[in-house]
Amino acid sequence: MTTANKLNLSWLILMILTLSGMLVGEYAEAGFWITVSVAGVTALKGRLIIDQFMELGQASPLIYRIVKIFGLVVPALMILTYLLGSELAQVTQLPD
Amino acid sequence: MAEPARIPGGKAIWVGIFAELTEFTLMFLVYFFARINHPQAFHEGPQKLSLAAGTANTVIMLSSSYFVARAVLAMRKGRSDITLRWLFAAFVTAVGYPIIKVLEIRWNLDHGVVGRGDVFQMSYYYLTFNHLVHVSWGLLGMVWIMFRTGFGAYTANNHSGLIAFASYWHATDLIWLMIFPLFYVLP
Repeated sequence: MTTANKLNLSWLILMILTLSGMLVGEYAEAGFWITVSVAGVTALKGRLIIDQFMELGQASPLIYRIVKIFGLVVPALMILTYLLGSELAQVTQLPD
Repeated sequence: MAEPARIPGGKAIWVGIFAELTEFTLMFLVYFFARINHPQAFHEGPQKLSLAAGTANTVIMLSSSYFVARAVLAMRKGRSDITLRWLFAAFVTAVGYPIIKVLEIRWNLDHGVVGRGDVFQMSYYYLTFNHLVHVSWGLLGMVWIMFRTGFGAYTANNHSGLIAFASYWHATDLIWLMIFPLFYVLP
Protein backbone atom coordinates (compact mmCIF):
# COMPACT_ATOMS: atom_id res chain seq x y z
CA MET A 1 0.00 0.00 0.00
CA THR A 2 1.32 3.48 -0.86
CA THR A 3 1.92 6.06 1.87
CA ALA A 4 -0.91 8.18 0.46
CA ASN A 5 -3.32 5.24 0.67
CA LYS A 6 -2.18 4.48 4.23
CA LEU A 7 -2.94 8.09 5.19
CA ASN A 8 -6.34 7.95 3.46
CA LEU A 9 -7.24 4.70 5.23
CA SER A 10 -6.03 6.02 8.61
CA TRP A 11 -8.18 9.14 8.24
CA LEU A 12 -11.21 6.99 7.34
CA ILE A 13 -10.69 4.73 10.37
CA LEU A 14 -10.26 7.79 12.62
CA MET A 15 -13.55 9.22 11.34
CA ILE A 16 -15.40 5.94 11.96
CA LEU A 17 -13.94 5.67 15.47
CA THR A 18 -14.87 9.30 16.21
CA LEU A 19 -18.47 8.74 15.12
CA SER A 20 -18.60 5.55 17.22
CA GLY A 21 -17.40 7.68 20.16
CA MET A 22 -20.24 10.10 19.49
CA LEU A 23 -22.76 7.25 19.66
CA VAL A 24 -21.26 6.06 22.95
CA GLY A 25 -21.48 9.60 24.32
CA GLU A 26 -25.11 9.86 23.22
CA TYR A 27 -26.49 6.49 24.31
CA ALA A 28 -24.13 4.49 26.56
CA GLU A 29 -24.53 4.11 30.32
CA ALA A 30 -21.52 3.90 32.61
CA GLY A 31 -20.05 0.43 32.94
CA PHE A 32 -16.82 -1.52 32.85
CA TRP A 33 -17.00 -2.61 29.20
CA ILE A 34 -18.04 0.85 28.02
CA THR A 35 -15.02 2.28 29.86
CA VAL A 36 -12.74 -0.36 28.31
CA SER A 37 -14.21 0.36 24.86
CA VAL A 38 -13.70 4.12 25.18
CA ALA A 39 -10.16 3.57 26.48
CA GLY A 40 -9.38 1.12 23.65
CA VAL A 41 -10.72 3.44 20.95
CA THR A 42 -8.76 6.37 22.44
CA ALA A 43 -5.54 4.33 22.49
CA LEU A 44 -6.11 3.10 18.91
CA LYS A 45 -6.78 6.60 17.59
CA GLY A 46 -3.66 7.88 19.33
CA ARG A 47 -1.57 5.09 17.86
CA LEU A 48 -2.82 5.83 14.33
CA ILE A 49 -1.74 9.47 14.72
CA ILE A 50 1.65 8.47 16.14
CA ASP A 51 2.42 5.77 13.55
CA GLN A 52 0.75 7.02 10.37
CA PHE A 53 0.57 10.83 10.60
CA MET A 54 3.70 11.50 12.68
CA GLU A 55 5.62 8.50 11.29
CA LEU A 56 7.44 8.20 14.61
CA GLY A 57 8.22 4.54 13.93
CA GLN A 58 11.00 5.89 11.74
CA ALA A 59 12.20 8.41 14.34
CA SER A 60 14.48 8.12 17.35
CA PRO A 61 13.30 5.14 19.47
CA LEU A 62 13.32 7.37 22.56
CA ILE A 63 10.93 9.89 20.99
CA TYR A 64 8.73 7.07 19.69
CA ARG A 65 8.60 5.41 23.13
CA ILE A 66 7.79 8.62 25.05
CA VAL A 67 4.96 9.63 22.69
CA LYS A 68 3.54 6.09 22.71
CA ILE A 69 3.51 6.17 26.53
CA PHE A 70 1.74 9.55 26.44
CA GLY A 71 -0.93 8.00 24.19
CA LEU A 72 -1.53 5.27 26.77
CA VAL A 73 -1.65 7.38 29.96
CA VAL A 74 -5.24 8.58 29.58
CA PRO A 75 -6.71 5.22 28.42
CA ALA A 76 -4.92 3.43 31.29
CA LEU A 77 -6.17 5.98 33.84
CA MET A 78 -9.73 5.64 32.51
CA ILE A 79 -9.73 1.93 33.36
CA LEU A 80 -7.71 2.28 36.58
CA THR A 81 -9.98 4.96 38.02
CA TYR A 82 -13.10 3.01 37.01
CA LEU A 83 -11.86 -0.10 38.85
CA LEU A 84 -10.16 1.56 41.82
CA GLY A 85 -11.68 5.04 41.93
CA SER A 86 -12.98 4.97 45.50
CA GLU A 87 -9.80 3.32 46.86
CA LEU A 88 -7.63 5.88 45.05
CA ALA A 89 -9.87 8.70 46.33
CA GLN A 90 -9.27 7.58 49.93
CA VAL A 91 -5.48 7.60 49.59
CA THR A 92 -5.36 10.92 47.70
CA GLN A 93 -7.58 12.96 50.04
CA LEU A 94 -6.02 15.47 52.39
CA PRO A 95 -6.59 14.76 56.10
CA ASP A 96 -9.19 16.91 57.89
CA MET B 1 29.55 4.31 12.20
CA ALA B 2 25.87 3.97 13.16
CA GLU B 3 23.52 6.57 11.71
CA PRO B 4 22.31 9.03 14.39
CA ALA B 5 18.70 8.57 15.55
CA ARG B 6 16.32 10.73 13.50
CA ILE B 7 14.62 13.64 15.26
CA PRO B 8 11.75 14.78 13.01
CA GLY B 9 11.98 18.55 12.49
CA GLY B 10 15.00 18.97 14.79
CA LYS B 11 15.65 19.06 18.53
CA ALA B 12 14.10 22.48 19.22
CA ILE B 13 10.55 21.55 18.26
CA TRP B 14 10.74 18.38 20.35
CA VAL B 15 11.68 20.41 23.43
CA GLY B 16 8.43 22.30 22.82
CA ILE B 17 6.39 19.15 22.11
CA PHE B 18 7.66 17.38 25.23
CA ALA B 19 6.87 20.49 27.29
CA GLU B 20 3.36 20.45 25.80
CA LEU B 21 2.89 16.73 26.52
CA THR B 22 4.19 17.17 30.08
CA GLU B 23 1.84 20.10 30.69
CA PHE B 24 -1.19 18.14 29.50
CA THR B 25 -0.14 14.97 31.34
CA LEU B 26 -0.17 16.99 34.58
CA MET B 27 -3.59 18.42 33.72
CA PHE B 28 -4.91 14.93 32.95
CA LEU B 29 -3.68 13.78 36.37
CA VAL B 30 -5.58 16.68 37.95
CA TYR B 31 -8.66 15.66 35.92
CA PHE B 32 -8.53 12.08 37.21
CA PHE B 33 -7.83 13.27 40.77
CA ALA B 34 -10.97 15.42 40.56
CA ARG B 35 -12.92 12.60 38.89
CA ILE B 36 -12.27 10.02 41.60
CA ASN B 37 -13.12 12.54 44.32
CA HIS B 38 -16.28 13.86 42.61
CA PRO B 39 -17.61 10.87 40.63
CA GLN B 40 -21.18 12.19 40.43
CA ALA B 41 -20.17 15.50 38.84
CA PHE B 42 -18.06 13.68 36.24
CA HIS B 43 -20.76 11.07 35.60
CA GLU B 44 -23.34 13.77 34.85
CA GLY B 45 -20.91 16.23 33.25
CA PRO B 46 -20.82 15.00 29.62
CA GLN B 47 -24.62 15.27 29.38
CA LYS B 48 -24.34 19.01 30.04
CA LEU B 49 -21.92 19.64 27.16
CA SER B 50 -22.60 19.81 23.43
CA LEU B 51 -21.50 16.43 22.05
CA ALA B 52 -22.01 17.81 18.52
CA ALA B 53 -19.46 20.58 19.17
CA GLY B 54 -16.93 18.14 20.65
CA THR B 55 -17.37 15.72 17.75
CA ALA B 56 -17.13 18.53 15.17
CA ASN B 57 -13.86 19.73 16.67
CA THR B 58 -12.51 16.16 16.69
CA VAL B 59 -13.34 15.80 12.98
CA ILE B 60 -11.71 19.19 12.34
CA MET B 61 -8.50 18.35 14.22
CA LEU B 62 -8.16 14.90 12.63
CA SER B 63 -8.87 16.18 9.12
CA SER B 64 -6.51 19.13 9.45
CA SER B 65 -3.82 16.77 10.76
CA TYR B 66 -4.43 14.46 7.78
CA PHE B 67 -4.07 17.38 5.34
CA VAL B 68 -0.77 18.35 6.96
CA ALA B 69 0.47 14.75 6.62
CA ARG B 70 -0.45 14.88 2.92
CA ALA B 71 1.40 18.20 2.61
CA VAL B 72 4.57 16.59 4.00
CA LEU B 73 4.17 13.68 1.59
CA ALA B 74 3.82 16.06 -1.37
CA MET B 75 6.93 17.98 -0.31
CA ARG B 76 8.88 14.74 -0.10
CA LYS B 77 8.11 14.34 -3.80
CA GLY B 78 9.29 17.89 -4.46
CA ARG B 79 5.78 19.20 -5.24
CA SER B 80 5.69 22.48 -3.31
CA ASP B 81 2.61 23.61 -5.29
CA ILE B 82 0.65 20.56 -4.10
CA THR B 83 2.09 21.01 -0.59
CA LEU B 84 0.71 24.53 -0.48
CA ARG B 85 -2.76 23.30 -1.50
CA TRP B 86 -2.79 20.68 1.26
CA LEU B 87 -1.61 23.28 3.78
CA PHE B 88 -4.35 25.64 2.65
CA ALA B 89 -6.92 22.86 3.13
CA ALA B 90 -5.45 22.18 6.59
CA PHE B 91 -5.66 25.88 7.53
CA VAL B 92 -9.21 26.42 6.27
CA THR B 93 -10.31 23.29 8.16
CA ALA B 94 -8.46 24.20 11.34
CA VAL B 95 -9.94 27.71 11.46
CA GLY B 96 -13.22 25.92 12.10
CA TYR B 97 -11.88 24.87 15.53
CA PRO B 98 -11.91 28.32 17.22
CA ILE B 99 -15.18 29.16 15.44
CA ILE B 100 -16.83 26.01 16.85
CA LYS B 101 -15.31 26.84 20.24
CA VAL B 102 -16.90 30.29 20.29
CA LEU B 103 -20.29 28.83 19.32
CA GLU B 104 -19.86 26.08 21.92
CA ILE B 105 -19.05 28.56 24.70
CA ARG B 106 -22.12 30.65 23.81
CA TRP B 107 -24.20 27.45 23.90
CA ASN B 108 -22.60 26.53 27.25
CA LEU B 109 -23.42 29.90 28.80
CA ASP B 110 -27.03 29.63 27.61
CA HIS B 111 -27.22 26.19 29.29
CA GLY B 112 -25.56 27.16 32.58
CA VAL B 113 -22.15 25.59 31.92
CA VAL B 114 -19.87 28.25 33.39
CA GLY B 115 -16.31 28.49 34.66
CA ARG B 116 -17.53 28.87 38.24
CA GLY B 117 -19.71 25.78 37.92
CA ASP B 118 -18.96 22.40 39.45
CA VAL B 119 -15.56 20.70 39.41
CA PHE B 120 -16.31 18.99 36.07
CA GLN B 121 -17.08 22.32 34.41
CA MET B 122 -13.96 23.95 35.87
CA SER B 123 -11.78 21.06 34.61
CA TYR B 124 -13.47 21.27 31.22
CA TYR B 125 -12.82 25.00 30.81
CA TYR B 126 -9.26 24.78 32.10
CA LEU B 127 -8.21 21.93 29.82
CA THR B 128 -10.06 23.00 26.69
CA PHE B 129 -8.97 26.65 26.94
CA ASN B 130 -5.39 25.50 27.30
CA HIS B 131 -5.82 23.34 24.23
CA LEU B 132 -7.35 26.27 22.34
CA VAL B 133 -4.21 28.31 23.12
CA HIS B 134 -2.05 25.54 21.64
CA VAL B 135 -4.26 25.34 18.53
CA SER B 136 -4.00 29.13 18.14
CA TRP B 137 -0.20 28.96 18.18
CA GLY B 138 -0.43 26.14 15.66
CA LEU B 139 -2.61 28.25 13.34
CA LEU B 140 -0.04 31.07 13.45
CA GLY B 141 2.70 28.53 12.74
CA MET B 142 0.69 27.16 9.83
CA VAL B 143 0.45 30.62 8.23
CA TRP B 144 4.23 31.01 8.55
CA ILE B 145 4.83 27.57 6.99
CA MET B 146 2.47 28.42 4.12
CA PHE B 147 4.42 31.62 3.42
CA ARG B 148 7.70 29.72 3.51
CA THR B 149 6.35 27.03 1.19
CA GLY B 150 4.90 29.64 -1.18
CA PHE B 151 8.26 31.44 -1.39
CA GLY B 152 10.09 28.19 -2.17
CA ALA B 153 11.94 27.83 1.12
CA TYR B 154 11.53 24.06 1.21
CA THR B 155 12.71 21.35 -1.14
CA ALA B 156 12.26 17.58 -1.30
CA ASN B 157 15.62 17.18 0.46
CA ASN B 158 15.35 20.06 2.94
CA HIS B 159 12.01 20.75 4.59
CA SER B 160 12.73 20.30 8.27
CA GLY B 161 10.72 23.45 9.11
CA LEU B 162 7.63 21.87 7.59
CA ILE B 163 8.30 18.61 9.47
CA ALA B 164 8.76 20.56 12.73
CA PHE B 165 5.39 22.27 12.29
CA ALA B 166 3.71 18.99 11.27
CA SER B 167 5.07 17.26 14.40
CA TYR B 168 3.69 20.02 16.63
CA TRP B 169 0.31 19.98 14.89
CA HIS B 170 -0.03 16.20 15.13
CA ALA B 171 0.93 16.33 18.83
CA THR B 172 -1.77 18.96 19.41
CA ASP B 173 -4.23 16.71 17.58
CA LEU B 174 -3.13 13.75 19.75
CA ILE B 175 -3.87 15.76 22.89
CA TRP B 176 -7.37 16.62 21.65
CA LEU B 177 -7.98 12.91 21.05
CA MET B 178 -7.44 12.43 24.80
CA ILE B 179 -9.58 15.43 25.82
CA PHE B 180 -12.59 14.49 23.67
CA PRO B 181 -13.52 11.21 25.42
CA LEU B 182 -12.78 12.61 28.90
CA PHE B 183 -15.32 15.42 28.65
CA TYR B 184 -17.79 14.47 25.93
CA VAL B 185 -17.97 10.67 25.86
CA LEU B 186 -16.95 8.81 29.05
CA PRO B 187 -20.09 8.37 31.18
